[in-house]
Parts: sequence; structure tokens; C-alpha cells
Amino acid sequence: MDDSNCQIYEDEIQSLEEEIKLLTEKYEDKQQESTFFSDEEILMSIKSLQEEFQGESKGHESPLDLKAQLESLETDLSFLMKFTGIQFRSHSKKTVERTGNRTVQKHRLSGNCHSLSFQLEFHLLEMQSAESVSAVVTDLHIVMASAEDSDITKFVSRAEERGSLLTFFRSLSTYAEWYEHRRRTFLHFK
Amino acid sequence: GVFAHLELLEAQAYKAAVKQEESEQQKEKLAGLRARVQELRLQRDDLRAKLDLQQKGQLGKEGVVSDPAQPSPRAVVEWKIKNLMSMLQVFYLTGISGKLTKRGVCFCISTAYEGTYLDSYHLDLLTKPEVQIYRHSLPVFIPLQQIAKKYLQTDIRRFLAVLSDHLNAYVGRRYQADQLQEHFSEQIEGTLQRNSLCNLLVFNYNVSSTSKTFPFHARLLYRDLCCSLPTEVDVSCASDAPAALAEMAAAHVGLFRRMALHKAFSSFSSAGESMD
Repeated sequence: MDDSNCQIYEDEIQSLEEEIKLLTEKYEDKQQESTFFSDEEILMSIKSLQEEFQGESKGHESPLDLKAQLESLETDLSFLMKFTGIQFRSHSKKTVERTGNRTVQKHRLSGNCHSLSFQLEFHLLEMQSAESVSAVVTDLHIVMASAEDSDITKFVSRAEERGSLLTFFRSLSTYAEWYEHRRRTFLHFK
Repeated sequence: GVFAHLELLEAQAYKAAVKQEESEQQKEKLAGLRARVQELRLQRDDLRAKLDLQQKGQLGKEGVVSDPAQPSPRAVVEWKIKNLMSMLQVFYLTGISGKLTKRGVCFCISTAYEGTYLDSYHLDLLTKPEVQIYRHSLPVFIPLQQIAKKYLQTDIRRFLAVLSDHLNAYVGRRYQADQLQEHFSEQIEGTLQRNSLCNLLVFNYNVSSTSKTFPFHARLLYRDLCCSLPTEVDVSCASDAPAALAEMAAAHVGLFRRMALHKAFSSFSSAGESMD
């Protein structure tokens, strides 16, 4: 009799712990996605963190580690944008579904690849398994500034049809470089 | 007589005491569990209320909402870090991402079949005194040295683009073969043979109609390593097969040439061929 009571409590404890984990993730996602801090606010925060550090560090990451991590991420990002020619102007994501080991987020992205501007949105489904995380893109919508260019409309519609986000970026990158090269050559002969 | 009786009483008393202790431990355990359940219920309800408030805060406001409580500098920096990591994740989705290292750059080439992301590969490059490959995780059958010889020194972007084409095509071919084995296993007779580069596939398959099944033999060769569609397709049926079957084989050749393998199978499986 008592054993079965124990089991009932233990089952409830497990389900509550799972629910708490999910709710916490949902809450933190929303916090992250709905807040925005300007660059000045970030700089000020780094400064006050450093001042705080004169005191103690309580076993979290030290403020210097946070600052170093921030700077390393910023340099990597700026390198990638320069190297690939892909500059992102804005990016927002919103968690649409979070259950067990499945997360769906809606992404909105705008930017340009060399001189070609794009705006896109898609759903990203991520599933956590024992060894890895799998990612699938669906509902891809792409809007290009230079919509009259038939070459562009061709690879855009093909990408949308199949949800091929990666192929879109690879094609865009190649095309934009060629376009840029052609533009410069043209100017050279003017 | 008396002593035996006393011993018996002692034994009984001892058993009763043990039982009493067990039942008390059980009561304590239950009480502990009950307390834990209460604690977790409170925590859960608290979170639900917080989420509810969050939702309400969003209603009727355009654009951005900031936390009513003044966030700590640490929270602000942590927010920015998460934000930058999101951005880097987006680069992963574009196919080329990476990070700077002490002596160069470590690139990450991601691959995908349509919307499904598959394996990613790393390429650790040194940039001084000249660009060299320090280490990598590319499979041996990708002609890395050949491609590096052609482009690495003169045009790194092109080098990565060509590698990306090879890798994406390889992964795409492999994905199609995997999908075929996974979703059409009843139609495949025996094993599907493939090489490590997945650019040569040989298999036997059946097409059924009403009560009969018709065997076919297929050979797909993908000569263009940057392509995930075959350049040469052979489909044959038994030499004594009726003309209609030979026509079907020819039709399948066309399908395999222009469509992904698993999609081609999907199209003729669902069409429910009529052989009569």
C-alpha cells in the first residue's frame, strides 16, 4: 500500500521536474527573444562587470571570461562576414514549439551578399537524439531586392520549393561574386 | 517450558520492533516525497505565472519589450553572447562557418540535402608563412589534395566552394541511397551495392502490379562528383520479358536521370503501375 503511494509521488516528481525544465526553457527563450540591448548598453555592462570584478568572482564565469568570450565571438562573426561577403543586417528568432527533445523556431533574416540584398524567413526544426542534434528547414520564403533578374528568380524559386536554405546561400554567394566581378569590369571600361 | 516461552516472546517483540521501525522509515520517506512534490508544484506554478506575465507583456505592444526589472550587467552581456551565438548558428546554415584560431582559421563546411542538414566537416588552416591545411575531417575519398593544389594558394573562397560542392554532392548521393534502403526496402531485392563515394549504385528492385512482381536491375553511375544526379543509368529486366516491361525500364531510366532516387521510387510506387 505504502509502496504504491511512493511510486505515485515519485512519478509526479519526475513529471513535475520535466515540466519545470520545459517551462524554464520557454521562459528563457522568450526573454532572450524579446529583449534588445544596444551596443552602448553592452559596453557599459562590460565596464561595470570589470569594476565589479575588483570585488570577487562567485564561482560563475569571471567577468573577464565573459568579456573574452564576447570579443572572440565578435571577431569570429566579423571575419566570417568579411570572408563570405554575407552580411546580416537583422536576425530574429522566435521559439514556436518546444516539447521534449524537439524545438521549432521561426527565423527572420535580412542582409546582403556583396551587392545583392535578401530577406528571408523559415522554420527550423531541431531534434535532440543521444549523440547529435538534427536540423531541418521548412517553410522557406525568400525575397530578393533584385527580383527582376531571371537568374536570381530561378534559384530562389527552386530553393523555396525544396527548403534548400544551404543551396540558396551557396548559389547566392557564387552569383553575387560573379555579379560583383562583372560590375567592376564594366566600371573599368567606362 | 518457561524459558522457551520467554524466548518466543522476545523473538516476537524483536520482530515487532523491526516492523515498527520499517513502517516509521516508510512514513518518513513518504512525508519527504510529499514535501518534495509540494515544493516542485510551487516552483511549477511560479513559472507558469511568470510565463503568463511574459505573454501579457507582449500583448498590444509593437516591437520590443524590455525587462521591467533593471537587468544586471552580467545578464546583459550574457544576452549579447547568446545573440552572437545565434548569428554564428545562422552562418552554419549557410554552408560555410568557422572560427579564428591562433595560427589561422578553422572552417566548418556544413552539408544538407534540400532542407535536411547532414554532416559537417572541419578544415583547420594555417595562414603563415603560406596557407596550408593543418588538419581536417574530410573523408579520404574526397580529392582534397587535388582541389587544394588548384585553388588553395590563389583563391581560398573558391577552394572552399569547390570542396563544399564535392561534399554536398557526396552527402546528397548517400542520403538518397539511405532513403531508398529505409523507405523502399520491400522493393529492393538483396542488398543495395554502393562504393564509399556513393557514385556507383547497383541494385535489384521489384515493381508489383496486381498479383505479379517484375524484377529489374539498375546501375547508376555518377561521373560528376559535384552532382547528386547520375550521369549514366542502366535499367534492365529479364531478357524474355514482355515489351511493356522493357518500356517501363526505359521510363525508369529517365526518372532516375532527372529525379532523386527515393523520389523516383515514390513516383512509380504510388502510381500503382498497371501492367495489363
